[in-house]
Amino acid sequence: MTRSAAGYWIGFAVVLALLVVAPLVLPEFWRRFVTEILIWGLLAMSLDLLIGYTGMVSFGHSAFFGLGMYGAAAALLTVRPPNLWLAILYGLVGAGAVAVFVAYFSTRLRDIYFAITTLVFSQIFYVIIFTWTEVTGGENGLGFSQPAFAIPGVVSARFTPVTLHWFVLAVVTVSYLGLRRITQSPFGMVLQSIRENEPRTRAIGYHVERYKIVAVMLSGLFAGLAGVLYALQNKFAAPDFVFFLVSGEVVVFNVMGGMGTLVGPVAGAAFFFLLRELFSRFFTEYYLIPVGIIFTLMVIFVPQGLLGFLRRRLNQ
Amino acid sequence: MTPDRLPEPGSPHGNGRGAVRSPILRTEGLTVRFGGLTALDNVTLAVPHGEIRAMIGPNGAGKSTFFNCVTGVLRPTSGRIVFDGEDITGLPPHRISQKAIARSYQITNILPGATVLENVRIAAQSRHHSWSLVRHHRAFVDVIDRARAVLDAVGLGDKEEELAANLSHGEQRHLEIGIALATEPKLLCLDEPTAGMSVSETRATVELIRQIATDLTILIVEHDMEVVMGLAHTITVLHYGEVVAEGTPAEIQANPRVQEVYLKT
Ligand SMILES: Nc1ncnc2c1ncn2[C@@H]1O[C@H](COP(=O)(O)OP(=O)(O)O)[C@@H](O)[C@H]1O
Ligand SMILES: [Mg+2]
Repeated sequence: MTRSAAGYWIGFAVVLALLVVAPLVLPEFWRRFVTEILIWGLLAMSLDLLIGYTGMVSFGHSAFFGLGMYGAAAALLTVRPPNLWLAILYGLVGAGAVAVFVAYFSTRLRDIYFAITTLVFSQIFYVIIFTWTEVTGGENGLGFSQPAFAIPGVVSARFTPVTLHWFVLAVVTVSYLGLRRITQSPFGMVLQSIRENEPRTRAIGYHVERYKIVAVMLSGLFAGLAGVLYALQNKFAAPDFVFFLVSGEVVVFNVMGGMGTLVGPVAGAAFFFLLRELFSRFFTEYYLIPVGIIFTLMVIFVPQGLLGFLRRRLNQ
Repeated sequence: MTPDRLPEPGSPHGNGRGAVRSPILRTEGLTVRFGGLTALDNVTLAVPHGEIRAMIGPNGAGKSTFFNCVTGVLRPTSGRIVFDGEDITGLPPHRISQKAIARSYQITNILPGATVLENVRIAAQSRHHSWSLVRHHRAFVDVIDRARAVLDAVGLGDKEEELAANLSHGEQRHLEIGIALATEPKLLCLDEPTAGMSVSETRATVELIRQIATDLTILIVEHDMEVVMGLAHTITVLHYGEVVAEGTPAEIQANPRVQEVYLKT
């Protein structure tokens, strides 16, 4: 192992250890804050696979996140007793189905046309969810109770805030390592080649659309997983989370934190929520004005994002 | 490396004497129109296996357009392209690449933000393992070995960790050729490989092309007449999209029509 690789894994272990200890030492409000950042961070990472690694800006990630939520809700409301693993499975199937659909139609388009298509698709799903009240609960969404953490024959325990945090942390960490490996695989290198020079990538023999479709599907699955976690944490699924503003925020996490690093977008999410927390105390609902100003300044002065300077080391 | 070492290819103009080798590339009546402009006009030619074929002609003659058709970037308005006995007319670029046709570009076309090694490695990977998602790309040693061999061949073996964007112009032009070579082509199309190069860089490039030509067929567009005369077995002269002459360098030099349209301009 090279020295910088050792440095990476030491950093990884330290951050992971801090996140393991966090719920034991933080007050309730901040514990919940950290858990939610992990969940939004996973959503932001899933988008980074497209924005940072493939060079495709999606404004439709709220659809995958939302379908993950509603998929989990479907499992938790229809299957007795509520089963955690089924919630994850349904959420992934929901998000995956939407991702196949979106990927098939949107990857034929490039740049702003891709972005607009993803946005339009996510708004279509928003409208369907918002108006199909009998099934989705419409405006009010769906409430449900939390499933237990159960592995048949091994363990069955109700989640406490602390164990739920650990569960979320485990899922997000494994997802991070999985995404990182995907970005470093031959497939991931093709995505980065597409980002660097799409016509050249075609010319050396890659069927670019197929790679993009698989990238969107993978991204959608991880976004859906984040939606499942959010549903588990909050015990509801609501249409607001399918709305395109959520997609926009996730793009902002990526830009603030550093695209193409995977962990940068998590840091971006944390930074964004901290700013929101801070400014909403002084500016109440007008917090977006100072946050917007800071975002603009960052785009001008730190265009590579908070962790952009670590980009090479994080991807080695 | 005398041009007459190779037998004469079948010529579209009827003197098909001694067409011993079967052509690896053949076009029949290739025509490309951009609106009212005919960029390629009924181009019929055959390039035998192992030949270095130069295409010359004034700017706008249709040379790059011909390359764009052969590599699938453009679909010809009419006509056929046959490669290795197979009709490849209108196939998309990635399919053409998989048929073992590669090209370098008149305007440098690389992955500027990737390392020199990665530029070539990703090209080599397009033949093997490109759909693996779970193993690290560095675990596929065969691909890396292939990439390193190509970098050595194009003289960039000691630059593999540099960012491609930081190479000199001449080095980028060689990387361009390296990317094409890494895809293991049978036919390599070089579009003005010495464009913008110094005299010594040009000389090195000619040497490089001569070396790689030992195992593949080369189609080269070049403005530098010294390079063309020194390398080509056969020269095809394009003018306003039409083939106006074809022959050995000596024949082309002596051809009054060619002097009229090209050499004197
Ligand atoms: N995509 C295009 N659209 C319209 N005209 C084109 C296009 N590509 C090339 N041309 C025109 O076709 C002619 C041949 O161009 P080109 O093949 O680039 O010439 P060469 O490479 O021989 O200099 C030129 O007149 C050029 O302006
Ligand atoms: Mg040209």
